[in-house]
Amino acid sequence: MRLAKKLFSSKKLYDLPGTEKRFVEAMRENAMFHYAHCEDYKRILDEAEYDPSKISTLDDIIDLPFLPTLYFKHHVLQSLPDKKMLIKATSSGTSGAMSNIGFDFSSLWLGLKMVIRVGKYHKLWSLKPQNYIIFGYQPTKENNTAVSKTALGFTFFAPAKSRTFALEKSPSGYKLNWERVEKALAKCAKSHLPMRTIGFPAYTYFLLKDLKERGVHYQMPKGSMVTLGGGWKQFYAQQADKKEFYALVKDVLGIDEDHVIEFFGAVEHPILYTDCRCHHFHIPCYSRIFIRDPDTMRPLKNGNPGLINLTTPMLRSAPILSVMTDDLGVIHDEPCDCGLSTPWLEIIGRVGVADIVTCAAGAEKYLKDE
Amino acid sequence: MILYRGELYENSRQEELIARLKDDLWTPFSEGKALDRDKLIEACDTLATRVLGGEYDDIVKPLLEMLSISEEEFQSMAGLFRKEGLKYKCEIELCDEERIIDGKIRRKRMPLGVLMHIAAGNVDALPAYSVIEGLLAGNVNILKLPMGDSGISVKLLSELVAIEPSLKDFIYVFDVPSTETETLKSLADLSDGVVVWGGDMAVRAARDLTEVNTKVISWGHKLSFAYAEEDCTDQELYDLAKSICLTNQLLCSSCQGIFLNTDSREKQSAFARRFFEIFKKASSDSHPADYGMRARNAINLYNEKLERHVTGNDILNEDGVSVIVTDDPELKLSYLYRNVWVRRLPIEKVISLKKHKNHLQTAAVLTSDPEKRKKIEEALTAAGLTRITTAGHMSRPVSGESHDGTYALREYSRIVEIEIS
Repeated sequence: MRLAKKLFSSKKLYDLPGTEKRFVEAMRENAMFHYAHCEDYKRILDEAEYDPSKISTLDDIIDLPFLPTLYFKHHVLQSLPDKKMLIKATSSGTSGAMSNIGFDFSSLWLGLKMVIRVGKYHKLWSLKPQNYIIFGYQPTKENNTAVSKTALGFTFFAPAKSRTFALEKSPSGYKLNWERVEKALAKCAKSHLPMRTIGFPAYTYFLLKDLKERGVHYQMPKGSMVTLGGGWKQFYAQQADKKEFYALVKDVLGIDEDHVIEFFGAVEHPILYTDCRCHHFHIPCYSRIFIRDPDTMRPLKNGNPGLINLTTPMLRSAPILSVMTDDLGVIHDEPCDCGLSTPWLEIIGRVGVADIVTCAAGAEKYLKDE
Repeated sequence: MILYRGELYENSRQEELIARLKDDLWTPFSEGKALDRDKLIEACDTLATRVLGGEYDDIVKPLLEMLSISEEEFQSMAGLFRKEGLKYKCEIELCDEERIIDGKIRRKRMPLGVLMHIAAGNVDALPAYSVIEGLLAGNVNILKLPMGDSGISVKLLSELVAIEPSLKDFIYVFDVPSTETETLKSLADLSDGVVVWGGDMAVRAARDLTEVNTKVISWGHKLSFAYAEEDCTDQELYDLAKSICLTNQLLCSSCQGIFLNTDSREKQSAFARRFFEIFKKASSDSHPADYGMRARNAINLYNEKLERHVTGNDILNEDGVSVIVTDDPELKLSYLYRNVWVRRLPIEKVISLKKHKNHLQTAAVLTSDPEKRKKIEEALTAAGLTRITTAGHMSRPVSGESHDGTYALREYSRIVEIEIS
């Protein structure tokens, strides 16, 4: 993992050309490691007649067989023994099936370095205690979902004065406790300390909309932030126009648009993407993204929509170095007003069709799941 | 939108109108006003003529576009509402209107009474069609609109009442969300029968909603397939492929895959390759499938290939169509949108399909040998299939055709016997 460490020690978070050599080398090191330690991964590369030791350019990484997230939902892949896994994370399971990915110490260490650098760049670190409102699950022993873990993790960017969780466990599963959230918001507005909300964009959006309809408006203390993570999930159809969303945040919480920050990441690709002040997910030096044509699986030129293929050499514990998501996206390389010249990823939505109409037995459920 | 005794109301009036319902609902029965079926059929015909004449194109055209229904399919669907179609349907389904039994019993068919229709959103004019079927049998109808209804059902039904005002006491439309179970229960309690369209979940929900003394008539989701002999013609395979492309395998009657009468994997693979080439041609002759679905299937198929070591499946995949060759003989849903499976099922094992019971619907038979065809038809009908068609006609609507093995109008009726004194 020497070369991965080198990549994750890069000082310039968004310098892609300057880190390309390091990235390619770390990918080769990572691919060779998994090829040697994960039988199933070796089989996949062998079947594709792919030799990981020959990786020497980004084009070689394009040719490296990718694994769809669906594959991780059906199979557990690991390159280290169970006892080395400090954490097991599962995807949040929009449908029934979930991916199980283990994280060992060295992978987590790289993750920590990444989080520190990303936090610094995006000015997320603060010594001032904050009141946190988390639109997510309260982590429990049984709840391994990465979303709940990262949500809790975010509360360490700045010391927590208080933490309020919107989803609470009840005998019939998790349910939203609106009353508790509203009470906490009212309290935050009166506090002299900043407030930070963390959670699913959809929940945040629906909560704010609900508050607005009831005529509730707050002026949150200076430095307050709305942070969003976990994707829009099954709510893509209702995905609010981003401008409308920022206007809603301003209207209900009195927080300016530049204090609304969205994160993006996945259990199968635990890289922390953070949007810039223009709300673009620039690609950090730890990963490279390819957009592929669904009909040929070949990469498309920037600017064209296709399947999002995420690559990173971060993990030693599991062969997630090249993962195909269920999302469609575009890579933009037009200049961004935030000053960064690296490309940024726009996520368009999940694959599939919205509002499907069918009467074939089982089709409705099948199309909704996965 | 609500339709109540011929008047349109905003949804905000729903609670108040539902509260009034129990006083109004039985008016036709208490006043002895039976529905005049001839007038109903005339009104439907007038409405169908107007729809086909383009009077509602502002709603109809975008809908056809959205559901990718071709003009031709639309014409044949609208034909079901025409006078000839409806008369023919009634002739077949209600042939036993009145007769004398054993010289001393007068038997007659009567409407069930009040029918509540829980419609699905899968075909947009379907909720209205369901109500028209209820009307043909003489019932008072309460329609619960499907979620996200486009408004076309209320529009069509209110036009129908405008054309034939005597129908006003027979049609009620409400927009109650499926989550408001108490309200739905109260409507079901007022009904003699509940007609439910939808998947297994919807059917189960309707059963939970109803008391034991309410009849549940369910038009559930089904699975359909093709059964082929190796001697079938390329034209048959092309017709089948074309119907798969046309419906994107989303209908009850759409082909999910092909069972081949063989127990040889070699023959199965050769057949799959033959069909695959024809399938690609049929797909390129059709409208391209939705991009998002193509992307989804591309991932599924890529994953299938990675899992070959476990499943033993062969995957033929190109130009947005795929054929999966698999060893298990189970009837399963396909990946939809131009992806079929090919399985081996020797004729003597066709009976194993019987375990799917009420999920079975249409099977297309592909063979050029009339003797074999007859045998296959017998085996399939014995296993529980209710429609056997030729290769290209799995999803063609036909006036007077039964529905999932029964006649809707008979399901919406009851037989009354009166001893002659």
